[in-house]
Amino acid sequence: MSDDDTVNVIKPPDTLSSKVSKGGPGAVDLAAIERAESVIANMADDYLDWVEDDLVKIANAQKELKANRDKSEEYLDKVFQVAHDMKGQGGSFGYDLMTILGNDLCRFIEGKKTASDVDIEVIDLYISTMQIVISKRMSGDGGPAGNEVLTGLAAVVAKITS
Amino acid sequence: MSDFNASGINVLIVEDNLHFRTLIRTILKTVGFENVEEARDGVEAFEVLSSFEAHLAIIDWKMDGQDGLECVRRIRTDEDSPNKYLPIIMVTGYTEESLAKAARDVGVNDFLGKPISAKSLMSSIVSVFEDKRDFIDCAHYFGPDRRRSQQEFKGEERRKGVSKKTG
Repeated sequence: MSDDDTVNVIKPPDTLSSKVSKGGPGAVDLAAIERAESVIANMADDYLDWVEDDLVKIANAQKELKANRDKSEEYLDKVFQVAHDMKGQGGSFGYDLMTILGNDLCRFIEGKKTASDVDIEVIDLYISTMQIVISKRMSGDGGPAGNEVLTGLAAVVAKITS
Repeated sequence: MSDFNASGINVLIVEDNLHFRTLIRTILKTVGFENVEEARDGVEAFEVLSSFEAHLAIIDWKMDGQDGLECVRRIRTDEDSPNKYLPIIMVTGYTEESLAKAARDVGVNDFLGKPISAKSLMSSIVSVFEDKRDFIDCAHYFGPDRRRSQQEFKGEERRKGVSKKTG
Protein backbone atom coordinates (compact mmCIF):
# COMPACT_ATOMS: atom_id res chain seq x y z
CA MET A 1 0.00 0.00 0.00
CA SER A 2 1.10 3.57 -0.55
CA ASP A 3 2.48 5.09 2.61
CA ASP A 4 1.55 8.71 1.88
CA ASP A 5 -1.48 10.59 0.54
CA THR A 6 -0.94 9.33 -3.00
CA VAL A 7 -3.81 7.42 -4.61
CA ASN A 8 -2.75 5.14 -7.44
CA VAL A 9 -5.41 3.80 -9.78
CA ILE A 10 -4.10 0.54 -11.24
CA LYS A 11 -5.43 -1.45 -14.16
CA PRO A 12 -5.06 -5.04 -12.84
CA PRO A 13 -3.56 -7.66 -15.15
CA ASP A 14 -6.32 -9.54 -16.97
CA THR A 15 -5.24 -13.12 -16.28
CA LEU A 16 -8.71 -14.59 -16.72
CA SER A 17 -9.49 -13.64 -20.32
CA SER A 18 -6.81 -15.95 -21.68
CA LYS A 19 -8.01 -18.83 -19.46
CA VAL A 20 -11.72 -18.55 -20.14
CA SER A 21 -13.03 -19.79 -23.45
CA LYS A 22 -16.58 -19.41 -24.64
CA GLY A 23 -18.97 -22.31 -25.13
CA GLY A 24 -17.89 -25.71 -26.42
CA PRO A 25 -18.13 -29.07 -24.70
CA GLY A 26 -18.13 -28.70 -20.93
CA ALA A 27 -19.31 -25.08 -21.01
CA VAL A 28 -20.83 -23.72 -17.82
CA ASP A 29 -24.41 -23.11 -18.85
CA LEU A 30 -27.78 -23.39 -17.18
CA ALA A 31 -27.80 -27.16 -17.76
CA ALA A 32 -24.43 -27.51 -15.97
CA ILE A 33 -25.70 -25.47 -13.03
CA GLU A 34 -28.86 -27.57 -12.84
CA ARG A 35 -26.67 -30.68 -12.93
CA ALA A 36 -24.70 -29.33 -9.98
CA GLU A 37 -27.91 -28.54 -8.08
CA SER A 38 -29.01 -32.10 -8.66
CA VAL A 39 -25.66 -33.52 -7.47
CA ILE A 40 -25.98 -31.43 -4.29
CA ALA A 41 -29.55 -32.65 -3.77
CA ASN A 42 -28.24 -36.20 -4.03
CA MET A 43 -25.76 -35.42 -1.26
CA ALA A 44 -28.62 -35.07 1.25
CA ASP A 45 -27.65 -38.42 2.82
CA ASP A 46 -24.10 -37.16 3.35
CA TYR A 47 -25.54 -34.00 4.86
CA LEU A 48 -27.63 -36.03 7.29
CA ASP A 49 -24.46 -37.80 8.48
CA TRP A 50 -22.64 -34.50 8.84
CA VAL A 51 -25.47 -32.80 10.67
CA GLU A 52 -25.75 -35.74 13.09
CA ASP A 53 -22.12 -35.02 13.99
CA ASP A 54 -22.95 -31.33 14.40
CA LEU A 55 -25.90 -32.19 16.65
CA VAL A 56 -23.56 -34.21 18.86
CA LYS A 57 -21.04 -31.35 18.85
CA ILE A 58 -23.61 -28.71 19.79
CA ALA A 59 -25.08 -30.93 22.53
CA ASN A 60 -21.58 -31.46 23.94
CA ALA A 61 -20.83 -27.74 23.81
CA GLN A 62 -24.09 -27.07 25.65
CA LYS A 63 -23.19 -29.72 28.24
CA GLU A 64 -19.85 -27.99 28.78
CA LEU A 65 -21.61 -24.64 29.07
CA LYS A 66 -23.84 -26.01 31.82
CA ALA A 67 -20.87 -27.51 33.67
CA ASN A 68 -18.68 -24.39 33.35
CA ARG A 69 -20.92 -21.44 34.01
CA ASP A 70 -17.90 -19.39 35.11
CA LYS A 71 -16.58 -19.74 31.54
CA SER A 72 -19.90 -19.01 29.88
CA GLU A 73 -18.49 -16.74 27.18
CA GLU A 74 -16.08 -19.42 25.96
CA TYR A 75 -18.72 -22.16 25.80
CA LEU A 76 -21.42 -19.89 24.39
CA ASP A 77 -18.98 -19.23 21.57
CA LYS A 78 -18.58 -22.98 21.01
CA VAL A 79 -22.36 -23.41 20.80
CA PHE A 80 -22.50 -20.39 18.49
CA GLN A 81 -19.85 -21.77 16.12
CA VAL A 82 -21.63 -25.08 15.62
CA ALA A 83 -25.01 -23.34 15.21
CA HIS A 84 -23.39 -21.05 12.68
CA ASP A 85 -22.08 -23.98 10.64
CA MET A 86 -25.50 -25.62 10.79
CA LYS A 87 -27.12 -22.41 9.61
CA GLY A 88 -24.73 -22.26 6.66
CA GLN A 89 -25.21 -25.86 5.58
CA GLY A 90 -28.90 -26.61 6.06
CA GLY A 91 -30.29 -24.58 3.16
CA SER A 92 -27.61 -25.81 0.76
CA PHE A 93 -28.90 -29.36 1.18
CA GLY A 94 -32.60 -28.57 1.26
CA TYR A 95 -32.97 -28.35 5.05
CA ASP A 96 -34.11 -24.74 5.23
CA LEU A 97 -35.51 -25.15 8.75
CA MET A 98 -32.00 -25.92 10.01
CA THR A 99 -30.80 -22.66 8.50
CA ILE A 100 -33.66 -20.76 10.17
CA LEU A 101 -33.08 -22.43 13.56
CA GLY A 102 -29.29 -22.06 13.33
CA ASN A 103 -29.66 -18.40 12.46
CA ASP A 104 -32.15 -17.72 15.27
CA LEU A 105 -29.94 -19.50 17.79
CA CYS A 106 -26.90 -17.49 16.67
CA ARG A 107 -28.91 -14.26 16.97
CA PHE A 108 -29.99 -15.32 20.48
CA ILE A 109 -26.43 -16.06 21.64
CA GLU A 110 -24.74 -13.17 19.85
CA GLY A 111 -23.34 -10.58 22.23
CA LYS A 112 -23.96 -12.64 25.38
CA LYS A 113 -21.02 -12.83 27.76
CA THR A 114 -22.82 -14.85 30.42
CA ALA A 115 -25.55 -17.46 30.31
CA SER A 116 -28.52 -17.23 32.67
CA ASP A 117 -30.70 -20.21 33.55
CA VAL A 118 -33.27 -18.90 31.06
CA ASP A 119 -30.61 -18.61 28.35
CA ILE A 120 -29.58 -22.22 28.97
CA GLU A 121 -33.20 -23.31 28.74
CA VAL A 122 -33.70 -21.46 25.45
CA ILE A 123 -30.55 -22.99 23.95
CA ASP A 124 -31.76 -26.44 25.07
CA LEU A 125 -35.02 -25.79 23.24
CA TYR A 126 -33.28 -24.83 20.01
CA ILE A 127 -31.04 -27.88 20.15
CA SER A 128 -33.92 -30.26 20.78
CA THR A 129 -35.92 -28.61 17.98
CA MET A 130 -33.03 -29.10 15.58
CA GLN A 131 -32.82 -32.74 16.66
CA ILE A 132 -36.52 -33.15 15.87
CA VAL A 133 -36.16 -31.54 12.43
CA ILE A 134 -33.38 -33.96 11.52
CA SER A 135 -34.86 -37.08 13.09
CA LYS A 136 -38.16 -36.45 11.29
CA ARG A 137 -36.31 -35.54 8.07
CA MET A 138 -38.20 -32.24 7.80
CA SER A 139 -36.63 -30.98 4.61
CA GLY A 140 -37.57 -27.74 2.87
CA ASP A 141 -39.81 -25.60 5.05
CA GLY A 142 -41.13 -28.76 6.68
CA GLY A 143 -44.69 -28.10 5.49
CA PRO A 144 -47.42 -27.58 8.11
CA ALA A 145 -45.43 -29.60 10.66
CA GLY A 146 -42.41 -27.35 10.10
CA ASN A 147 -44.52 -24.28 10.60
CA GLU A 148 -45.92 -25.80 13.78
CA VAL A 149 -42.40 -26.51 15.07
CA LEU A 150 -41.26 -22.92 14.44
CA THR A 151 -44.34 -21.23 15.89
CA GLY A 152 -44.35 -23.61 18.87
CA LEU A 153 -40.69 -22.84 19.57
CA ALA A 154 -41.22 -19.09 19.22
CA ALA A 155 -44.15 -19.24 21.67
CA VAL A 156 -42.19 -21.21 24.29
CA VAL A 157 -39.13 -18.98 23.94
CA ALA A 158 -41.33 -15.87 24.29
CA LYS A 159 -42.96 -17.34 27.40
CA ILE A 160 -39.77 -18.27 29.24
CA THR A 161 -37.91 -15.10 28.32
CA SER A 162 -40.75 -12.75 29.26
CA MET B 1 -20.24 -13.98 -19.74
CA SER B 2 -22.46 -16.98 -20.24
CA ASP B 3 -21.65 -20.49 -21.45
CA PHE B 4 -17.97 -20.10 -20.60
CA ASN B 5 -15.57 -23.01 -20.34
CA ALA B 6 -14.12 -23.28 -16.85
CA SER B 7 -11.66 -26.10 -17.37
CA GLY B 8 -8.61 -23.80 -17.57
CA ILE B 9 -9.43 -21.81 -14.45
CA ASN B 10 -7.59 -22.70 -11.27
CA VAL B 11 -9.58 -22.19 -8.08
CA LEU B 12 -8.42 -22.18 -4.47
CA ILE B 13 -10.97 -22.88 -1.74
CA VAL B 14 -9.97 -21.65 1.72
CA GLU B 15 -12.36 -23.06 4.30
CA ASP B 16 -11.81 -24.81 7.62
CA ASN B 17 -15.01 -26.83 7.53
CA LEU B 18 -14.58 -30.06 5.56
CA HIS B 19 -18.28 -30.22 4.66
CA PHE B 20 -18.30 -26.75 3.13
CA ARG B 21 -15.12 -27.52 1.23
CA THR B 22 -16.74 -30.68 -0.10
CA LEU B 23 -19.87 -28.75 -1.08
CA ILE B 24 -17.97 -26.01 -2.94
CA ARG B 25 -15.58 -28.47 -4.60
CA THR B 26 -18.51 -30.63 -5.74
CA ILE B 27 -20.28 -27.66 -7.33
CA LEU B 28 -17.09 -26.47 -9.06
CA LYS B 29 -16.14 -29.91 -10.35
CA THR B 30 -19.65 -30.63 -11.59
CA VAL B 31 -19.86 -27.43 -13.62
CA GLY B 32 -16.43 -28.04 -15.15
CA PHE B 33 -13.68 -26.49 -13.04
CA GLU B 34 -10.96 -29.10 -13.27
CA ASN B 35 -8.22 -27.56 -11.14
CA VAL B 36 -9.40 -27.00 -7.60
CA GLU B 37 -7.09 -26.86 -4.60
CA GLU B 38 -8.03 -26.53 -0.94
CA ALA B 39 -6.60 -24.91 2.17
CA ARG B 40 -7.90 -24.96 5.73
CA ASP B 41 -6.91 -21.45 6.77
CA GLY B 42 -5.02 -18.37 5.66
CA VAL B 43 -1.59 -19.75 6.47
CA GLU B 44 -2.20 -22.91 4.48
CA ALA B 45 -3.65 -20.80 1.64
CA PHE B 46 -0.34 -18.97 1.31
CA GLU B 47 1.50 -22.28 1.20
CA VAL B 48 -0.78 -23.56 -1.57
CA LEU B 49 -0.53 -20.30 -3.51
CA SER B 50 3.26 -20.56 -3.58
CA SER B 51 3.00 -23.53 -5.95
CA PHE B 52 -0.53 -23.24 -7.41
CA GLU B 53 -1.31 -20.39 -9.78
CA ALA B 54 -4.88 -19.65 -8.70
CA HIS B 55 -7.08 -17.49 -10.92
CA LEU B 56 -9.80 -17.25 -8.31
CA ALA B 57 -9.98 -17.76 -4.54
CA ILE B 58 -13.12 -18.58 -2.57
CA ILE B 59 -12.37 -17.75 1.05
CA ASP B 60 -14.46 -18.33 4.16
CA TRP B 61 -14.52 -15.53 6.69
CA LYS B 62 -14.56 -17.31 10.01
CA MET B 63 -11.92 -20.03 10.27
CA ASP B 64 -9.94 -21.65 13.02
CA GLY B 65 -6.37 -20.49 12.52
CA GLN B 66 -5.85 -17.45 10.32
CA ASP B 67 -9.28 -16.13 9.37
CA GLY B 68 -10.55 -14.99 6.00
CA LEU B 69 -10.18 -11.25 6.52
CA GLU B 70 -6.53 -11.62 7.51
CA CYS B 71 -5.94 -14.00 4.60
CA VAL B 72 -7.37 -11.47 2.11
CA ARG B 73 -5.43 -8.63 3.70
CA ARG B 74 -2.21 -10.63 3.31
CA ILE B 75 -2.94 -11.57 -0.30
CA ARG B 76 -3.58 -7.91 -1.13
CA THR B 77 -0.74 -6.29 0.78
CA ASP B 78 2.03 -8.70 1.83
CA GLU B 79 5.36 -8.16 0.13
CA ASP B 80 5.58 -11.88 -0.59
CA SER B 81 2.00 -12.22 -1.88
CA PRO B 82 1.98 -14.46 -4.97
CA ASN B 83 -0.78 -12.39 -6.62
CA LYS B 84 -2.06 -9.14 -5.13
CA TYR B 85 -4.72 -8.90 -7.83
CA LEU B 86 -6.18 -12.37 -7.26
CA PRO B 87 -9.98 -12.25 -7.68
CA ILE B 88 -11.51 -13.16 -4.31
CA ILE B 89 -15.00 -14.19 -3.26
CA MET B 90 -15.62 -14.17 0.48
CA VAL B 91 -18.17 -16.75 1.60
CA THR B 92 -19.72 -16.37 5.01
CA GLY B 93 -22.74 -16.97 7.17
CA TYR B 94 -22.33 -13.42 8.48
CA THR B 95 -24.32 -11.35 6.03
CA GLU B 96 -24.87 -8.13 7.96
CA GLU B 97 -24.12 -5.00 5.95
CA SER B 98 -21.41 -3.88 8.40
CA LEU B 99 -19.59 -7.17 7.85
CA ALA B 100 -19.94 -6.95 4.08
CA LYS B 101 -18.32 -3.52 4.39
CA ALA B 102 -15.45 -4.97 6.45
CA ALA B 103 -14.90 -7.56 3.70
CA ARG B 104 -14.89 -4.86 1.01
CA ASP B 105 -12.44 -2.84 3.11
CA VAL B 106 -9.83 -5.61 2.97
CA GLY B 107 -10.26 -5.89 -0.80
CA VAL B 108 -12.62 -8.75 -1.67
CA ASN B 109 -14.22 -8.69 -5.12
CA ASP B 110 -17.51 -10.22 -4.02
CA PHE B 111 -19.29 -11.34 -0.88
CA LEU B 112 -21.51 -14.44 -0.83
CA GLY B 113 -23.79 -15.40 2.04
CA LYS B 114 -24.31 -18.98 3.21
CA PRO B 115 -26.19 -21.16 2.61
CA ILE B 116 -24.90 -21.30 -0.92
CA SER B 117 -26.34 -23.07 -3.95
CA ALA B 118 -24.78 -23.93 -7.30
CA LYS B 119 -26.70 -21.02 -8.77
CA SER B 120 -25.62 -18.44 -6.17
CA LEU B 121 -21.97 -19.57 -6.30
CA MET B 122 -21.85 -19.49 -10.09
CA SER B 123 -23.58 -16.14 -10.19
CA SER B 124 -20.92 -14.75 -7.86
CA ILE B 125 -18.11 -16.31 -9.94
CA VAL B 126 -19.49 -14.85 -13.17
CA SER B 127 -19.82 -11.45 -11.53
CA VAL B 128 -16.15 -11.62 -10.45
CA PHE B 129 -15.07 -12.67 -13.96
CA GLU B 130 -16.92 -9.69 -15.38
CA ASP B 131 -15.53 -7.38 -12.73
CA LYS B 132 -13.34 -4.94 -14.62
CA ARG B 133 -12.81 -2.52 -11.77
CA ASP B 134 -9.49 -0.76 -11.38
CA PHE B 135 -7.47 -1.40 -8.25
CA ILE B 136 -6.93 1.42 -5.79
CA ASP B 137 -3.63 1.73 -3.98
CA CYS B 138 -3.57 4.29 -1.19
CA ALA B 139 -2.34 4.58 2.39
CA HIS B 140 -5.14 2.55 3.95
CA TYR B 141 -6.41 0.36 1.14
CA PHE B 142 -5.26 -1.89 -1.67
CA GLY B 143 -7.91 -3.66 -3.68
CA PRO B 144 -10.70 -3.30 -6.23
CA ASP B 145 -12.27 0.14 -6.42
CA ARG B 146 -14.99 0.01 -3.77
CA ARG B 147 -17.31 2.01 -6.00
CA ARG B 148 -19.01 -0.73 -8.06
CA SER B 149 -19.88 1.48 -11.00
CA GLN B 150 -16.96 2.29 -13.26
CA GLN B 151 -18.21 5.39 -15.03
CA GLU B 152 -15.57 7.55 -16.56
CA PHE B 153 -15.28 10.83 -14.71
CA LYS B 154 -15.05 13.72 -17.11
CA GLY B 155 -14.60 16.52 -14.59
CA GLU B 156 -11.50 17.82 -12.91
CA GLU B 157 -9.66 15.18 -10.78
CA ARG B 158 -9.57 16.64 -7.28
CA ARG B 159 -8.42 13.60 -5.31
CA LYS B 160 -4.98 14.32 -4.01
CA GLY B 161 -2.10 12.72 -5.88
CA VAL B 162 -4.18 10.45 -8.13
CA SER B 163 -2.13 8.65 -10.75
CA LYS B 164 -3.02 5.91 -13.26
CA LYS B 165 -0.88 2.79 -13.64
CA THR B 166 -1.07 -0.63 -15.20
CA GLY B 167 -0.67 -3.57 -12.81
